[in-house]
Amino acid sequence: MKPVRENLIASLTEELEPVRAFNARDGMGLLAIAAALTFAAVVMVEGFWHGIVSGEASAFFWITSGLLALLGLASAGAVIAMASPRVGNRFDAPVWLSAMMVVLPIGALLSAMPQQHGLDAIVNDMYGMHCLTYSMFSTVLIGAALTLWLRRGATVSLNAAGWFTGIAAGSLGALAYGISCSIDSITHLGTWHIAPVAISALLGRLIVPHLVRW
Amino acid sequence: MIADEATLARLMVAGQKGDKSAYNVLLSEVGLWLERYFRRRVPPHQLDDLVQDVMLALHNKRATYDPERPFLPWLAAIARYRWVDHLRKVYKHESDLLEDNDAIEESDEEAIAARVSLERLFVHLPKKQAEVIELVKIEGHSIRDAAERTGQTESLVKVNIHRGLKKLSALVEKAE
Repeated sequence: MKPVRENLIASLTEELEPVRAFNARDGMGLLAIAAALTFAAVVMVEGFWHGIVSGEASAFFWITSGLLALLGLASAGAVIAMASPRVGNRFDAPVWLSAMMVVLPIGALLSAMPQQHGLDAIVNDMYGMHCLTYSMFSTVLIGAALTLWLRRGATVSLNAAGWFTGIAAGSLGALAYGISCSIDSITHLGTWHIAPVAISALLGRLIVPHLVRW
Repeated sequence: MIADEATLARLMVAGQKGDKSAYNVLLSEVGLWLERYFRRRVPPHQLDDLVQDVMLALHNKRATYDPERPFLPWLAAIARYRWVDHLRKVYKHESDLLEDNDAIEESDEEAIAARVSLERLFVHLPKKQAEVIELVKIEGHSIRDAAERTGQTESLVKVNIHRGLKKLSALVEKAE
């Protein structure tokens, strides 16, 4: 063996300290704490819509929330797994669920178009911008927790990690904000509660790879 | 003879717990494995630098190895990542022949080695991108030389290298 490599091995061996091996459960724990804090912050700042428990919430509310939860968990699961790289890792679930999510804005547009001023009603929704803004605020903590996890890890698929972090933060953030919003029509949910996912995904793709590169 | 997957995984777990003698053996074995892994994809004079770069990465990121999963796919993902990074950095104009007599030893690990190999990455690249990356980034030819050899324009060679490297970095974990 070459002397330079022998020296390197000797010095790395010398400085060896025990480390705690990565475990996906730790990542899930971190995500759970960030999500719980986000839900708590939404309830404190925006309140809780009691229609969810009294049976007032429409089917669209449950469908949107269910899809957001699935997409958020699948994407967050992919991000957590990415911290420990492996040839053979595949992350197809968030990709397919993202495609499934597109059904909601399409449904919103298709249901609004036949109505007179239907599209104007979506664009000029007086609560739309509020929902978008507060949903975006709700993505911050979850996005930060997942980015922190990736920084501790050894992410080798940087762009994918960026997309999935953004999608996970956007979905779970919008889901958390959703418990405070009493507007449960398809046109409102399918646009103003889904837009944060797309915006957050784009932000994740642009920002996260720079933060987790090693 | 390089240690098998199970032995390497056991040594790595011991290393994570702070066992210095096991870690020393692991690094020596990993060095040999990486040397063989990169031999056909890195000019000889860059081989040792890259092997040491990956060994340092292994050391710094040793906590990210999950003991419940196989060791070599983890090491190969890190090796591929550092290799693509290395290709981005090197821009040599000198011609440098790769070793041709690199017959791989037969062993029980052949299946794993083939599955995680660097060749698998190239399979997913369009031919025009793969050939200019090989010529310029691995064999060290100039852009002009690569353009003449492949019949592509110089600007197309540059674009194909850029796109090819981007695609390679996206394939680090996927391609097997």
